[in-house]
Amino acid sequence: MRLVLALASLRRNRARTILAVLGVAIAAAMLLDMVMLSTGMRESFRELLLSRGFQMRLTPRGTLPFDTEASIPGATGIVATLRARPEIDLVSPVLGASVHVLRGDSSITSFALGVDPAAQGDYQLAAGADALAPNAIVANDDFLRATGARVGDTLRIAAGYDPQLRSHSGERALVVAGRARFLYLAAGQLAIAAPLRTLQQMTGAAREDRASLFMVRLRDASKVKDVSRWIRTEFPAIDVISTADAMARVDERLSYFRQLSAILGAVSLVVGFLLVTTLVTVSVNERVGEIVVMRAIGISRLHIVEQIVLEGTAMSVVGAVLGTGLGLITARYLNTILSRFPGLPAAIDFFLFQPRDAWTAIGLLTACGVLAGLYPAWRAASLPLAHTLREEAVA
Amino acid sequence: MVALLLALQLRTITIDQRLAADAHLHVGDTVMVSGSPTSVGDSATIAAVIGRRADPSEIARSDYRVHLHLDQLQHLIGYGDRVDRFAIGTRGDSAADTAVRAINDAAFGFRAYRSRDIAVETSETFAVVSRFHRAIGVITIVASSVFLLCILLLKVDERRRDVAALRLIGISRRSVMLSVVLEAAFISVIGSGIGVGIGWVTSLAVNWHYQLRYQTPLKFALVTGDIVLFAVSLSLVLGVLAGVLAARRLVRTHPLTLLGR
Repeated sequence: MRLVLALASLRRNRARTILAVLGVAIAAAMLLDMVMLSTGMRESFRELLLSRGFQMRLTPRGTLPFDTEASIPGATGIVATLRARPEIDLVSPVLGASVHVLRGDSSITSFALGVDPAAQGDYQLAAGADALAPNAIVANDDFLRATGARVGDTLRIAAGYDPQLRSHSGERALVVAGRARFLYLAAGQLAIAAPLRTLQQMTGAAREDRASLFMVRLRDASKVKDVSRWIRTEFPAIDVISTADAMARVDERLSYFRQLSAILGAVSLVVGFLLVTTLVTVSVNERVGEIVVMRAIGISRLHIVEQIVLEGTAMSVVGAVLGTGLGLITARYLNTILSRFPGLPAAIDFFLFQPRDAWTAIGLLTACGVLAGLYPAWRAASLPLAHTLREEAVA
Repeated sequence: MVALLLALQLRTITIDQRLAADAHLHVGDTVMVSGSPTSVGDSATIAAVIGRRADPSEIARSDYRVHLHLDQLQHLIGYGDRVDRFAIGTRGDSAADTAVRAINDAAFGFRAYRSRDIAVETSETFAVVSRFHRAIGVITIVASSVFLLCILLLKVDERRRDVAALRLIGISRRSVMLSVVLEAAFISVIGSGIGVGIGWVTSLAVNWHYQLRYQTPLKFALVTGDIVLFAVSLSLVLGVLAGVLAARRLVRTHPLTLLGR
């Protein structure tokens, strides 16, 4: 009954109600987007880091993975020492370098990873075979598109370029064995992966038995701190970056977006709250006569309060549900803009939808709707009956 | 005496404010500088502590910055007589084009770029953030437009009894409509004026917070004349629109109906 009365009251001023619901829907869309932004990129990055089960990354001291050209000497010995630890399940050494695909007088530059194909966690094979043979590589779609190569083709690839002599060095004929999706690379970045030994040999004596990064998977994830401590003691020139450390660094670098989402989310809530409060207050002011008559014929104060609060809640719920759909569309658009961040892995989503985000947005706006209806409801319930009736009759 | 002689021989370096604050270093302190964590390095005296430039590309960088003499750094990292790049000053824009062409035609082993071209590439991050801000701005404008329209419609609708009274005493529909629209426009302008004030105070707070956080003189939020003009104009247009919509409905309704009779 109360709900029917509340809806009837909203229907009475249809244009006004539609406009208010539209306002709440936009506020809800913005709120959902901001909730998704505040949690999405973090969650997306965490999922990416743990996608292949590696909990630790070892880099040259003071650097982030592939942040500089620094590399770690004695890769074979380090891998052997790490693999001897019972807590460590898998070690994947990785060397990063720029390579040049030679095409007559010109060349195409690409990023190359030297990996141990049996242990690697950098790419997923999409077609063909893995780079198991010494002269085999796997390449991503961008590389194949740029070079016009296909699986099975042989390419002449050089690892070095001497600008003074204008000549390439470390040249090899490599066969494209497979097509792969690289997990940590930016969108549009050309990339290949070759066996670690092959890339080390191509890059010359300076990179002999070196690696840019070691990815480490533990048998028991709870041992991360203990193993990190041991690695730091054993290899003082190496930095250990656990998933938690990487998350902390990402949090620091992207804190701007978290703050922005908190501010805009709060503004959206305030806008939704003000809109519903104003509308319900005006609606109550217009129906003062009707409300006192209801009170005069014996309708309880609680009934009046419930009806008015329901009006505000109904507007908020309908607006929030509409806003959820709108928010998903705008989030997709905003994500397209932010995914063009240079250097950011293509797999990262700034706006990652999780059902709890939608529930959070709808819940917050519903709570706002309830709160927004409380003040006008209290005012309506506390109207002096005789005085108001007389005033309304005179008016 | 020995310390004095040693100090005379020490090379000088400059460090940035963040490093000075985090490592509690001051001008005149002697520090060890090395090219790698495991090598011994050389002693150097801190000659100055420098602030960060208003460069957007330095915002997200949390690394410390140390300036050394060129030969000092070449020696520390075993770089020989090599440099990564040369910065060249030219006499005017056209001279820059000529110089770039001449160097690229004649140079052997390196390439010249215009600073402007490099700036375009390095500012890609900020171009993305700027596009994101613009998209958020459009959503905010749509939301605030609906809000404003709704509030003004309500405000005008509240005047139904006054309008009825005016109509009953013989004021023409045109005059009534004009007065309602003017009132809505006045409220819009006053409201947007207050909004501009709030925006200006907020921009001060935003700049204070982020300048402190990133240790930079960069301004993060600017309230410019164009922005003020846009905000006030949009508000005025919406106010007039809401006024016209609501007033038209009011003047078309019979005064007694407006009074609930």
